[in-house]
Amino acid sequence: MPSKDREAAGERERCATGLEGLDHVLNGGIPRGNTVLVAGSVGTGKTSICIEFLIHGALESENSLYLSVTEPTAKLLKNVIPFDFFEERLIKQGRLRFLDLPQLYEKLGIEKAAFDFEEVKLLVDAVAGLVEENDVKRFCLDSVTSVNYRLKDPELIRDFLLRLGTVLSSKGCTSLLVSEIATTGDAIFRGGVEEAIADGVIVTGNLERRGDLLRTLQVVKMRGTSHSRAKYVLDLTTEGVLLVPLLKGGSVAGGA
Amino acid sequence: MAVTTAISEKLQALPEASAVALRLKTDQYFDAIQWMLDLFAAKKDLTTIYITSTIPSQSILQALEALEIPVDHVWFVDCISQIMMSAAKRHPHSIAVESPTMLENIMLKVEYLLRKNPDRKALIVLDSINSLAIHNNTKILSEFLHILVNNLRSRGAYTVIFSMQEYETDEIRNMLVLVSDETLELGE
Repeated sequence: MPSKDREAAGERERCATGLEGLDHVLNGGIPRGNTVLVAGSVGTGKTSICIEFLIHGALESENSLYLSVTEPTAKLLKNVIPFDFFEERLIKQGRLRFLDLPQLYEKLGIEKAAFDFEEVKLLVDAVAGLVEENDVKRFCLDSVTSVNYRLKDPELIRDFLLRLGTVLSSKGCTSLLVSEIATTGDAIFRGGVEEAIADGVIVTGNLERRGDLLRTLQVVKMRGTSHSRAKYVLDLTTEGVLLVPLLKGGSVAGGA
Repeated sequence: MAVTTAISEKLQALPEASAVALRLKTDQYFDAIQWMLDLFAAKKDLTTIYITSTIPSQSILQALEALEIPVDHVWFVDCISQIMMSAAKRHPHSIAVESPTMLENIMLKVEYLLRKNPDRKALIVLDSINSLAIHNNTKILSEFLHILVNNLRSRGAYTVIFSMQEYETDEIRNMLVLVSDETLELGE
């Protein structure tokens, strides 16, 4: 349904991710302003999903910002360029920006290994400033887990995520927060703070079936839209992240 | 060529988005491939996505080369070379799927190639239902065929599913009837 028709029907405006399969799963995209947790173990496509989401936004003239904790910008750019739909001009025009979080820490003078409420507020204000200053409509933090390592108290994590989500949403910015979970565990269902606070949760994982390892994606939660909760198999290609339904005939009991 | 004129005419007359089960005997195999790529796809100006789980794509490519059939618009989804631990150098038009049991990955590679070649209509050849049945149970194979064929149909692509008559079972025949618009038999 086109965006205007949705609004007329009382539905929230969508931020089409540009990942065709995911938009289909979400009935048109992420409700604009939602803060979505992309949770998964290593090598399951979290960063690719985020980068593709930002590139498509930038191509649609929405300023997009990637805040990286885990990888330096130069290395990340190597992951961007192989996408067939990536255009160099997006970076030159400032539509697509990459920032290293450690540099932001340095700028803010945050040097402590463990943050308290003051540092949390400082960090959220700095992100809010960046979003406002650059009129950012799509934002990714990769990863929120790395930030949370510095927040020793669950109350601080809750405070950080609540503040961040509220600030981003108030600016009409749709956000993806990457969360790393253990390879073998189903940490997403442990009732963690991040999952409870986020507007949406997308889980990526590995499914082992008769010795084959399939990359999977499942939208567990998304406020503001009806959506499929089925598991899909994904592939990371130069044409972007592709999804097809997981064949049920091959499902294994208790599979991830 | 063993392909009869009647079959040839039937195939040429197929409307877009058709799904056809092509029943053939083992000794008609290479004739069928040649006919499919050289006459049917070339005449209709189609991009061919050839899913092979019977023999490695390299063997088919060698045969096509010997027959001087151009492969500029032919792409392979090779489900067998990787599992054979084949050391052969891969052709740039050949994409590997780790194992014929990874049916979802076959769908994903087809999707990828369709996106890579958006300007031409496509023919998807599935070679063959019998070799896939060696590695997969009927339940998951039926589900795979049902989703794949309907997806391709919605995109206006032709689908041709090879079935070797010598290796057909009732289950395979039922599966083909369910997903195909027409069943054609070579040499009938």
